[in-house]
Amino acid sequence: MTLDKLRAQCDRVPFFRFLGFEITDVDDDCIHARMEQSARHVGNPVLKAYHGGITASFMEAIASTAVSHNWEILRPKPINLTVDYLRPALVGTLFVRADISKKGRRMSSIETVAWQKDPAKPVAKGLFHFLLV
Amino acid sequence: MVKKQKNNENSSKLLARAAEVWNERALGFITEMNLQIERSALDGVQLRMPYNPEFCVDEEGTMLHGGILTALLDSAFGLANFLAIEDLESMATIDLRVEYLGPAQSRADILVFAECYRQTRHVAFNSGRIWFDTNGQPEVARAMGTFSVTRGTNSLLDKLNTMGPGQ
Repeated sequence: MTLDKLRAQCDRVPFFRFLGFEITDVDDDCIHARMEQSARHVGNPVLKAYHGGITASFMEAIASTAVSHNWEILRPKPINLTVDYLRPALVGTLFVRADISKKGRRMSSIETVAWQKDPAKPVAKGLFHFLLV
Repeated sequence: MVKKQKNNENSSKLLARAAEVWNERALGFITEMNLQIERSALDGVQLRMPYNPEFCVDEEGTMLHGGILTALLDSAFGLANFLAIEDLESMATIDLRVEYLGPAQSRADILVFAECYRQTRHVAFNSGRIWFDTNGQPEVARAMGTFSVTRGTNSLLDKLNTMGPGQ
């Protein structure tokens, strides 16, 4: 799938529009995206940081987009996920990269990383399993 | 000022008030989820999230995105810890693990139960489950969460009480 086609597909998902991210780069095994912070992403009333669920949702959205892209599946079925919160995601842009670690016949495993200013200092990592059948 | 007190005959009322303070001071994403507290106790909380087509994966609005379930669990764990940990000063999610047990396909309200089933000096352990408010439908998700906890005399509840709404 081309970048434009992938973006068009994402635009048709209400929850992806709610998050408001943009796919910035795509190749066979990896997808990059960015998301500007808006008031509705905030979870912590003291720090004005991203809600942990928003960070997780953004990573899951990009992970599922990587699956859609590779297997031409419109809506991949998520099986489970693990999110590791490494640093607070503060005010500013959030970047996510999703890499396909397993390309099975029935299953795929996707690794994601989210960061802000410095890719070497991730705010969260995610591991997502999807059913392909 | 609301104080959380265990072993007090008024404790259930105080807990309910503390939960309301938590919800009233919410802003941003928690407001978007429009959470309603159905049960607030030391041993667990139950929240209701009304159906919202914005959280769906399809234009017809029949299936929720998994991410919203994860977000709901994260919030519910936070509230469960807030009520269960008496001298809580702040907390941060260490990790979340969510199992999607089936498609989240319904226009019914979502219910979540979350509990802090163990607390140590520095860590809170949570478990939770999610189901639709319809008869006979099985659970759609189960989750475990781990939170890093800071205890002290500057309670999070006092901090929330001295803040205006949405601050």
